[in-house]
Parts: sequence; C-alpha cells; structure tokens
Amino acid sequence: MEGFISNLQRYSTKDGPGIRTSVFCMGCNLRCVWCANPELLERNIKGMYYKQRCAGCGACVRMYPNAITFTDSGCVIDRSQNLDWQSLVDVCPKDAYEIKGQMVTPQELMNQLIRDKEFYEVSQGGVTFSGGEAGLQASFVKESARLLHQHGIHVALDTAANIPWKDLADLLKEIDLVLLDIKAIDSKIHQHCTGADNALILENARRMADLKKPLWIRLVIVPGWNDDLADIRSRFQFVKSLGDCVERVDVLKLHHLGASKYEQLGLEYRLDPQIQCKQELIQAIQAIAQEEKVEIHIEN
Amino acid sequence: MRTFLEFQPQNNDLDMVRLERLQIKMANRQASICSQRALLYTESFKKTTEDPYILRKAKAFCHTLKNMTIYIEEDSLIFGNQASSNFAAPIFPEYSIDWILDELDGRNGATAFDKRSGDVFLCSEKVKKDLYSIASFWQGHTHEDEVQSHLSHTIRQASKQGVLHLGGISMSGDGHIVPNHPMILQKGFRALIQEASQKIRQEGLTSQQNDFYQAVIISLEGALHFFKRYAALLKTLANREQDPKRKEELNQMSCMAADLMEGPVRSFWEGCEAVYMIHLLQMIESNGHSFCYGRFDQYMWNLYQKDLQKKVLTKEKALEIITHMFLMNSSQNKVRPYGHTKFSQGYPLYSNLVIGGYRPDGKDGTNELSYLCIEAMNLTALAEPNFSMRYNKQTPDSLIRLAAKLIRTGCGMPSMFNDEVAVKALIDIGIMKEDALDYCPIGCVETGVPGKYGHRATGMTYVNWGKVLEIVLYHGKDPKTGIQLLDLQKEDYQNMDQLWQAWKQALRFYSDLAVESDAVCDASLEIYDADPFASCLIDNSMKLGKTLKAGGCKYDVISQSNIGPSIVGNSLMAIQKLIFDDRVLTWSQLYEAMETNWQGVQGMRVRKLVMNVPKFGNDEDEVDAWVKKVFDSYLELLPNYKTLRTGKGPEVSCYTMSTSNITSYVPNGFDVGATPDGRLAGSPLNEGCSPTQGTDTHGPTAVINSVSKLPNDKVAAGQLLNMRFAPGALAGDENLDKFVAFLKVSVLKGIYHNQFNVLSSETLRKAQKDPENYKDLIVRVAGYCAQFISLMPEAQEAIIARTENEW
Repeated sequence: MEGFISNLQRYSTKDGPGIRTSVFCMGCNLRCVWCANPELLERNIKGMYYKQRCAGCGACVRMYPNAITFTDSGCVIDRSQNLDWQSLVDVCPKDAYEIKGQMVTPQELMNQLIRDKEFYEVSQGGVTFSGGEAGLQASFVKESARLLHQHGIHVALDTAANIPWKDLADLLKEIDLVLLDIKAIDSKIHQHCTGADNALILENARRMADLKKPLWIRLVIVPGWNDDLADIRSRFQFVKSLGDCVERVDVLKLHHLGASKYEQLGLEYRLDPQIQCKQELIQAIQAIAQEEKVEIHIEN
Repeated sequence: MRTFLEFQPQNNDLDMVRLERLQIKMANRQASICSQRALLYTESFKKTTEDPYILRKAKAFCHTLKNMTIYIEEDSLIFGNQASSNFAAPIFPEYSIDWILDELDGRNGATAFDKRSGDVFLCSEKVKKDLYSIASFWQGHTHEDEVQSHLSHTIRQASKQGVLHLGGISMSGDGHIVPNHPMILQKGFRALIQEASQKIRQEGLTSQQNDFYQAVIISLEGALHFFKRYAALLKTLANREQDPKRKEELNQMSCMAADLMEGPVRSFWEGCEAVYMIHLLQMIESNGHSFCYGRFDQYMWNLYQKDLQKKVLTKEKALEIITHMFLMNSSQNKVRPYGHTKFSQGYPLYSNLVIGGYRPDGKDGTNELSYLCIEAMNLTALAEPNFSMRYNKQTPDSLIRLAAKLIRTGCGMPSMFNDEVAVKALIDIGIMKEDALDYCPIGCVETGVPGKYGHRATGMTYVNWGKVLEIVLYHGKDPKTGIQLLDLQKEDYQNMDQLWQAWKQALRFYSDLAVESDAVCDASLEIYDADPFASCLIDNSMKLGKTLKAGGCKYDVISQSNIGPSIVGNSLMAIQKLIFDDRVLTWSQLYEAMETNWQGVQGMRVRKLVMNVPKFGNDEDEVDAWVKKVFDSYLELLPNYKTLRTGKGPEVSCYTMSTSNITSYVPNGFDVGATPDGRLAGSPLNEGCSPTQGTDTHGPTAVINSVSKLPNDKVAAGQLLNMRFAPGALAGDENLDKFVAFLKVSVLKGIYHNQFNVLSSETLRKAQKDPENYKDLIVRVAGYCAQFISLMPEAQEAIIARTENEW
C-alpha cells in the first residue's frame, strides 16, 4: 500500500495541538477559490517552476524548444504538451524546476515521522494528516496512523469531510482528533466557493459528533466569498449543535501565502490579492460568536 | 514606557521614569578612547623600574585607582566608573602599543578609530597627544613584543595562510574568569589583605610567593581606597542634592562606599554594588574580556532573603537595583585592534551572568531572583550583561516560559545551557562533581567552575578548519598564498580513506602548531598579564601564592576555538557521494568549478550537484555522521596536549574542545575559496556547531536532531548552536508553549547550548537601511549579543543568512 504525498512539514504549529509534523496528502475533491496549496489538488506529480531562481541559461529551452520559451519574465511553459519534468529538474543548474509528489508506504512515512517523537511527547503534539484531502487516501492514512499509534503518537486528521461516511468512519478508528473545515452552511455559497455541495460534509460532521469524536472546527473567512454574516451565524449555530465534542473553534483569516504557487504551477490565482479580512468584519464575527455563545480563537 | 514580561509591581519602589532615562542614555552612548589609565600606568611604571613585574603592575593599578577621574552616574543606584566618561575605553599600553599608535590617526595603512565600518571610537586630539607622548616608553617592551619575538617561522606562515589566528591572547590580557563571589561577599577585601599579610610572615616563601602576596595587598588597598573616594564624592553630591529621595539614596550610597569590602557585605544592594565593583576593577587591571558575574541568583539569594525578612527591601526595589546594575555594564568598554575587532563585532565585553541550574548538591537552584533577573534583562534591553540561563530536567516550566518570553522579544537572551550535558562534560575531564554542578558560562558559551577556573576556558588560538580543508584538497599547499607547510599525498585522493588520512594529518599538524602558539602567548601573559587583584579572588591562588597564569587556579582547563566543522563534514559528504559513490563528478571537474567560484554553465552544474547532497542540520544520518567524525578527529588529539601550568599547582590541567567562535566565522571565511559543499568563495564558515547558514531546510526539530548526534558531552568548553525563528513562530501563548516544549526536548536530546534570534529578515534589512531608527535592535551574534547596527556589513549579512524558521 502506498500513499501519494507532497512533503512533510516539521515543527508545524498551525495544525493542531503541540509540535506536530504535517503530512500533506495529494488530491482533493473540492476546489476552494482561496486554496493555499494548489499543488495538492490533483493526485499526480506536479511540476513547479520558480522564476526567481532561473538564471536564463536556456538549458530547458534547448530541451523543449516547442514547449518552453524564454521571456523577460522567465520561462513560459506550455503545460499542455507532454513534458518529462524529471529531465527538466535534472537539466536546470539553478534548481528552478521542482517536482512535488511522491509515493510512500506507511512504514517509510513512519520512519520519517518518528524522528520527532520526543518533540511530540513533550509538547503533547503529534502528526496531522492534511492536504489536499487526506480522507481520499483513507486506507493509507489509517494504516499510517495505526503504526504511529503503536508508538503512542497522537494523530489528527485535517479534513473537509466531503467523503463517503463509510470511508471516513473506518478511518476515524485510528484518528484522535479531527480538524474539520466548514466553509459555508448555505449550499449555494458552498457550491460557489468550492464547486461542491455541502450536504455530505454537514451530515458527516453530525455523525462525527454522534461518535463523540474530538473536533476542532476551522472556519476560514474569505471576504466577498463566504463572509455573509447570516451564514456565519448559521455556521456558529451549526457548530454549537455539534455539542461538547467540539473542543475548539478557530476563525482563520484569509491569507495569500499560496499565491506564488499558482504562478509556479502555471495556474491562475482567482482571488484578488488585495482583499483581506478587515478589522470591522472580524469584530462583527466576534460579536456574532458571542451572541451564539461560541468561544473562538482568531489568529493574528 | 518599558513593560514587564510578567512582573506586577505592588508598590512604587521601582521608578520606571528614571530607569527609562538611564536605559536611553546607555542605548545612545558613544564609544570613545580615554588616556587616563595609560598616563597613570606610565607614571607609575617609570618609578618602579627596579621592582618585579607583578609589583609594578600592582603599584600602577593602585596609583590609577587613587588618581583616575571618578564620577557618579546620574539616576543610577550603582556607582563605579572604568574610565573618565561613559563608554570610554581605557588604554592598556603594557599589553600592546603599536596598533594604537597606527589607529589613532590611521597611519601605516591602518584605519583610524573613528573611520571604522563597525565598532567606531571617537578620539579627541588631547587623548591622541597623551598617547603619542607615552609611546616611546612602551614600544618594544609590551606583551605583544614578547610574543612576537618568540613565534616560530612556521606559526607566522600558518597565520599568513589564514589557518591560525592569535588575536586577543597575543596582544591583550586574558580575562575569561569568574571570581569566587560567595567567598568575597562573605569576607570582603580586608580579610584577604590580612590573609596575605599573615602569609608573608610565614617562613620559607619563595620570592614568587612573597611578591604575589605583596602585590595582592597593594591591589586590594588600592581598591579600598578607590571605594572611599566614591564615599567622599557621594557625600558631596548628597549635600548638594535638592530632591529628598535622591539625597537619601546618595547618603546611603556614601555610607555603603565608605565601608565597602572592609568586611562582609551587609545588604542585597551592597552585594550588587560589590560584584559590580569587582567586575569593574578587573577591567581596570587587565584588558582581557569575559570578566563574568557567574551564578548571580545563587550567591545573592541569602542577602535577598534576609533583606526581605528584615523588611528593608521589596521585590520591586530589588528589581530596580538589579536593573540599574545590569544597565551600568553598558558604561564599560574595550577597544581592540581593528583586525581583531572583525572577529568580535559589536563592542562585546562578554560579561556573562547566569541564572538557574543545579546547585552543588544536585538539586535545582531556581529561586525568586532567577525570575527577577529575567525581568531585569527585559528592562535593560542592551547587549550586556551577556545573559544566560542554565536549565535541566528539574527546572520549573514557569522559569523556562519566562525565559522564552524574553527570547521572544528578539534580544537574543538568555542563551540556554543544558546542565545535563555541560555537567557530564566537566566531570569527564576530571572536575569534582559538586564543582561541575556549580558550573557557569565564562564569556559566551565556554563553561567553567566559578571561583576555581583559571583564564581562558576557550579562545586561545583560533583554528580555521575551512582553510585546513582547502589545504588538504590542494595536497598541503594553500592555493591563495602559495604557502606549503606540510606534505600530503601528491596525487589525487583515490578513495575516502586517503582523503580522511590527509585531513587527520593536516588537522594534527595545525593543532600541534596552535598549541605551540598558545604556549608562546601563555608564557608572555604570565608576566605581562600578572593580575594579583583578579587572581586572589579565585581558588587556590591565595593558598599557593601565585597568579592564575602561574598555576594558582584549582582547575586549568583551556581550549582553542575551531571554526567550520559543518563546512568540513558537508564537503566530505559531497566528495564521497559524487566522486566515489555515484561517480558523477571527477576531481578535476570539482576543482575547476570551485576555482571559478561555481560560475559558468559547468560551474553551475557542479554546484547544483553538490548543493543537492544532504547537508548537516536536516536530520540526515549519513552527513551528520561525517560532521561527528570531524569532531572526533579533533577530540582524539586532545590527550596529547599539555598547558604550561601542568604540574605547577592546578588539580586538573588539560585541553578540551570548544566551538565558541564569536564572529570569527565571518572573517575566517574571507580567506577560504569555494568549498566542495557548494559554499561560495569568501563567504562565512558555519558558526559554532550550527548548520551552514541557510542549508538547514527541514525546520528546527531537524536541526536539534542533527546536533544531538554530535559528541556534545565531550566539548567541555562549550558547544555553540545559534538558531533563528521568525517572530510569528513564537507569537501568542500557544506558540510560546510549543517553544518551551522545544527547549525541554533540547535538554533531553543532549544539546549543549542553544541561542535564538527572533527577528525577521525584513526587520534586519530595514535596520541596515535605516540604522538611526534601529539603535535598539540587539541581535545574537555568536555566544554574545550586540547592537545590530554596530556590526560590519559582512557580519550583518551572515546573521540574515541564518535559516529563518517560520513554522
């Protein structure tokens, strides 16, 4: 059994309690406009091109004269053509080309993750499977989590929960904590922002609550997309309805840290890089949370 | 207004307005040169030509203390000045004079003191005239002259190659000591004078012993006289003072000064004044540096507790006194030759003060003063004292957390020492367990036992391992100077074993040479740095009747400073993988690429290959093992080396290892061409045992894992690790908790020492562009802190190049 992951992030402090290593799984069935990890959307090798590193030597152009052209702003790559990215990585002297994506077995992954065991233990951290949608590789994640549990390592799953309940339910047997993203309650808003309906997501959330699975709810706020205050109120009401298994609610402000990755992947960034969560919006959200009696954390 | 980290004052005993004034004054102070000490020493030396050198030194010290300008720092609860004005550096002509004359006006190709690119000193025409006037008396008769006349041709050639750097010990005093503070606080100087007088009356003293005791008496009498001068001055000021609160303080300070050190210390305040004065007096006696406070929270604890019980002190007042004492350290200064300044940028004095850690009985010694000192350092927000913390498995989380809060402010302090490793390292070289448990940092990361160690736990001769590697690659010849001092295999190395044998041969050759050069400097320092005042405060000088350098110390453990182990390990790894294992590179391709500094298509291609070989600091076992092997290759040599004092008094006398290398990793890199790890020609070597700047890409836990594989508990004089975190990584309570956990794991994993810069590259870049507005930016340089804008541009760049951990 193998999983498809991009990379590991050690001393990850944003994906659950304590010091953690985040495992970024590739492949996702949502297409959120604000996605900060576009290299993880599909479950295949992704070629990245970093123009800041490019020395303009022309080695790649000579290799693919019909697909790569050199311009003032670096190389322009026609990705519709059949390119062997590994050969581009090999030929470029400045490492301007990189490949994301690798197959690993749960055991191989474990051997890496266990290197920070003491850090997990002392900080009460662990490993978080994130993505992409880690739930789409449920059996791989479950087996990896089982191995981690043999060493007493805490395992969290960062998911949008848009996967069949039977897959999720089976996976949850080896999961200690779920970081659950809720992007909208109104299905139209959800559809508009992510390209998918949210009925399954909300249903899965209720089922996880029924199982008393510890949940950390994560509410990303993107002005102009899912900042409708009425819907935000509904999100808090929904979270409240999940009961005591909700240990924590994080409101995540939009950031544009992933914007450069779109360029590296030859993709278009659909958000206006100028938009950001204004203080008034955050205050309004805080007020609603207070009215709905939901305690929230907002990262600055 | 400055704020506290956690402290909540319950009364108005701590005057924040005054503290702020004093802080701003110290933060904006300007360095200058003072000629008073030089003139007074000359005056005295001219009258004592018939005396043994140690008595000449003692008499000149006493003469200076009786005649130098004294003043009281307005606003301060602590008095005592090292030179005629704030942040003026005295001159010590008996150690060296030629460079001073050159740098006064920039003669003989030297850069003038006020024209430097970093560590600038103003120098008035009057001071220049004074110093020119005494020059001829000293020229040809200094410590430096003595050293130069004994250095062998080979040592000089090795220095020319850039392998050896003699720096401080060849032209200034030794420093690097911690007096026996508990003993002094309990006895005072008068009792020591009486002890010395009794010794003199004993039969059978050698002339060396007799001279030593005489010198001790003269020095301590001078010190007591010095205090009484302050008593008189304080009284005059008190009489003139209009503000009743300050008037009362000045009167109290005057009473304190009148009897200071005539007997045991009587209060916490007086204790702070006493240790400050001891520090200052050492810095008038000698121009070494790293005169340290040692375990301040431990030896001050009784005085603090008693005063609280007697209700003559409050926590708030104690915090004010400690902060004033910390701030006053910034009034002192030392001027070094410009060439040596490049190795120690930012006006460092390395006056280390440590809190926390095990007591000699093996229990953790954390107390209320430990916490107050962290608060005081936060209020001080300057580079001195060099503030450190010891911690271990028993250290309360609350203390680590408070320390983390100070680290988070970005000031680079405290630097964290792991008791579990440091104590073991000392026991392993023969230090008694109770003494090892009582260790403290002496200067930067070098460690020793307070009150029992002689000079220089580290920092004898500096050995540039980057250059040694380059010489190995060029079969014995330095490609830059063309100088060849040893014969290595002439033809290309055919396998790693041949290369490794050549490394070992070269390392041994240069390490032997460094020990030889240490001995030359040590022999001269024994005469010219004869320091009866400093020596009598350390065991067993009074018992044995000799200075520390002559063998008076209980423990004589010294080390050199070795620079660049990660560069060497990474380079060997790259050669093994690319030339021998994968066979994708030939020696000639590698040489060609390095000689072009990786330029051109071929150069870039080769650099890509070497850069993609694993680097130390990423938790990759194979390369980490190479760096360990490099450490081991040096550790193996140490049992062969002896100091000049072996058999002359010390209970333990030996060499150990240290990677405390101040900023020398920057200028040492200037001399070294491109190296097989992909490093560019002339760029810095790695710092201490840290990964090479920017090559650790797997985050801070991977760095800790890599460093934990090194023989840290054999590096008994201190192992330096410097890391940089982005401010966001420590923001908020949760991230702080994670950082606390990170520190605790560092203890469990056997990391010797860890220090942090919590500053973004953006902030550092802004400070470079707009230095006026970033005067308050204090950065961790290498075992010490300095004002960022005072550093030379290359040192600033090296700090920015450290990997910024932002997760």
